[in-house]
Amino acid sequence: MKIKTTFVGVASFLGMLLVWPHMPSMAQEVPAHAITNVTIHMADGATLERADIVWRNGIIEQVGVDETIPFDAFVIDGGDSLHVYPGLIDGMATWGSPEAPRDLPRLENPGKPPYDRAGAQPQRVPEHYLNEDKALEAAMKAGFTLVALGLDGQMLPGHIQPFNISAPKLTQAHAFSDPLALQGSFETAPGGWGSGAYPSTQMGVMAYFRQLMYDATALQEHMMYFEKHSEMTQPEQNEVLEALFPLVNKEQPLYFEVDSKEEIERLFRLQDEFGFDVVLVSAKEASALSTELKARNIPVIASLDVTDMPDWLEKENKEAKKDDEEGSESSEEGDSEDADYSEDAESEDLTEEELMFRSKQKEAWEKELNNVSALLEAGIPTGFTSAGLNPKELQQKVNLVTENSPLSMNDIIELMTVNNAQILGISNRVGTIKEGNSAHLILTDGPLFEKGTNIHIQVSQGVINDFMED
Amino acid sequence: MNNILTTLLILAVFSIGSMAQDKGSVLIQNTTLMTITDGIIENGDILIVDGIITAIGSDLSAPSDVPVVDGTGKYVMPGIIDAHSHLNTVSTNEARNPVTAEVTMEESINPNSVSIYRALAGGVTSIHLMHGSANVIGGQGETLKLRYGVSQDEMRFDQAKRTIKFALGENPTRVHGQGNGIQPRTRMGVEQIIRSHFDEALDYRIQREAYLAAKEAYQKDRRGRIAPPVPVAKNLRYDVLNDIIDGDILVHCHSYRADEILMLMRVFNDYGIKNYTFQHANEAFKVAPEIAKNGAYTSVFADWWAYKFEVYYSTAYNATILNENGVTNSINSDSNELIRHLNHEAAKTVRYGETSEADALKMITINPAKQLGIDEMVGSLEIGKQGDVAIWSGHPLSIYSKVEHTYIDGKKYFDLIMDPVDMRISVDSDDSYTDTGFNNFIQGREEDSCMSDVFELIQQ
Repeated sequence: MKIKTTFVGVASFLGMLLVWPHMPSMAQEVPAHAITNVTIHMADGATLERADIVWRNGIIEQVGVDETIPFDAFVIDGGDSLHVYPGLIDGMATWGSPEAPRDLPRLENPGKPPYDRAGAQPQRVPEHYLNEDKALEAAMKAGFTLVALGLDGQMLPGHIQPFNISAPKLTQAHAFSDPLALQGSFETAPGGWGSGAYPSTQMGVMAYFRQLMYDATALQEHMMYFEKHSEMTQPEQNEVLEALFPLVNKEQPLYFEVDSKEEIERLFRLQDEFGFDVVLVSAKEASALSTELKARNIPVIASLDVTDMPDWLEKENKEAKKDDEEGSESSEEGDSEDADYSEDAESEDLTEEELMFRSKQKEAWEKELNNVSALLEAGIPTGFTSAGLNPKELQQKVNLVTENSPLSMNDIIELMTVNNAQILGISNRVGTIKEGNSAHLILTDGPLFEKGTNIHIQVSQGVINDFMED
Repeated sequence: MNNILTTLLILAVFSIGSMAQDKGSVLIQNTTLMTITDGIIENGDILIVDGIITAIGSDLSAPSDVPVVDGTGKYVMPGIIDAHSHLNTVSTNEARNPVTAEVTMEESINPNSVSIYRALAGGVTSIHLMHGSANVIGGQGETLKLRYGVSQDEMRFDQAKRTIKFALGENPTRVHGQGNGIQPRTRMGVEQIIRSHFDEALDYRIQREAYLAAKEAYQKDRRGRIAPPVPVAKNLRYDVLNDIIDGDILVHCHSYRADEILMLMRVFNDYGIKNYTFQHANEAFKVAPEIAKNGAYTSVFADWWAYKFEVYYSTAYNATILNENGVTNSINSDSNELIRHLNHEAAKTVRYGETSEADALKMITINPAKQLGIDEMVGSLEIGKQGDVAIWSGHPLSIYSKVEHTYIDGKKYFDLIMDPVDMRISVDSDDSYTDTGFNNFIQGREEDSCMSDVFELIQQ
């Protein structure tokens, strides 16, 4: 299926950007769009039946039942059976990011690598680096209309910047706002033994990170002095250290991709030393530290890429189900003894040690599946990242989570819309369907994430992508 | 039935974890007390209350809520301390620079490694978790108590002295000289790496202090006459090196040959550095009087050598000769297998060199405690010390003896009778039962575990 952007000449698109936010005097010059006679789903699960929605210049102007549709509106008739949801927001992804370079040349002194070879590139801003990416097309089809983009890299890959997703190649024109955070992880310097560099371990990454912060602090101080005292030695120009000033000054949060409890605790150490705000990304074991996260006011953008059910457990569940069915059938036939016998024989093959292992693994898996619900329970702002899953995988993981945790489909939609918007600090513009918000919508022919439901139209910042054409 | 038993055992294990930071109490009665610092007490009692040894004697009584253990026929000795271990590191070597004083094993602790439990089963209560030997000046070490089931932070030995790893000889020259074509390529180069980095650190300190003083003057000057200084950034690596020079960090130096041992003592005398330990030190016996004269310590293997060229000239009498020359010597494992029977390693000094049993036991208790700066708190059975002890079925130097209980802070972490079949405390959702490396952990002595992750790096 080919994506077609129906609205938009380049001129009108740029016009739309210019008029944001509201500029009523110009508003009438651009035609409105409307979707009428649909079920509108609010992020909290509430619905409006047979409702209409109107937007112009990328901004929602009317939401309600029996709205007067503007005379110039391009109207999509929902025909009473279609649904509108707020567009999904991916809390963090690296779609469109250039791949990390391979075959790095060997360094003369791996102990003193250039910043990029150490994995520190905080100066990079996504809008200058993005490539065309099929994953963006897939994301649009999966219902995403906005994403906080980072870049592929190591300890400090660059900035986090939100983008409207309305094309497979995103540019500066699609940026939803300026960068809003720095991106980080404990990943070591790129390259193996031949071309690798310091830092090559997590403890090395921590030490290197600290030194960068000390160097940035000194440079900033030097620049401040130099502003007043031009006679003194001129400070060096250093885009890497300068990019860290917002972190040094605690003006921007650090979005840190980390999973294990121990690694999250190590991140806490860095936070204690430098005092910046943190948002955890992926964070599969975050719920083990709920109390601490709450005290530190750290939100979590959790990975939807949860581990599949362990094979042995899936098999066990299947057999239990089969036995149930056979049991009810065979009791009539009177040959249930065979089934019981074979089951016993199999469990006897397992050592006590393996049985204990399984019971611990089941507990660990259930804990992972319940990570997000436990975080929400503890009152921690939590959202979701699709972690680069394609629509089919996304659907499978959503099913896995809803079947094995207290989260409902509606909860997941809420996590991927209003919750993500709140964590990203853009909930005054997106995440919910209401007048004055940016038009980020999806039109479906059934409840979202339910089997058989198709997404017909995706609207990102007012720009329509129709997947049902041709 | 099996499943119920399993669940109960799991509950027992996890309750160890959740309460681990609590200190425990226990009264062990009518037993043989190997005090280490005050001889052997027959038919004695030892009382630990809230983690501290409060009484040693006979016919002791305890409050009613304190568990009592009958020690008849058994031996109680302080928990074994291993002065050289990589037992539960996340990574061991930050091997991409010859000097990495800024990294610390405090940030490389894996509290979930089952090897911790296995060490407890050998009566070990504390280890010195060390950086590897790839670098001339490696990372800082971390002394841990083996409280299996707690967080990485809760494993740290409170108030232990800071330590750091140095390494001489083949490993750093192989990794950096031959591997990357940078200094050090030779033993001479190793010495110069140490000297030049200490000198740079001292220069940095002068510049940094001058900057801080000038900054203060600038900030106080309200008339605007004083010019601001060019900032000198805080330097983590040099700060640590200065802490070594100031005596705040104890050096533990991987070394084998006598000549390099003498070299390091000369260098340290030049910089006024004291209280350091030579690790491995297979040729230390050749220069034992010189080591004693400098007040340096040694921490050696009982009888392990010939795994690389610089380790061929070795003897099983090393520990005994050092001990006879008045050097405070310990026996270490540097191995997740050996750590389970360090008592045998200490016993070898009796077998080979006729070291006294009392001195042999010191080599795995109070002596390593001194080398780690924790001898005021552990390493012997003394009133006021921490309740880190093990109950042995027989004399601890006997090949037939087993550890029955291991206590840390008076809390029981190992019990031979209650030893469950699976002691993993961290299982991942996607771990495979057979592929997790859990079941094939010991295949004899690990070759050069100091360098383990460097070899992995090279293979990548």
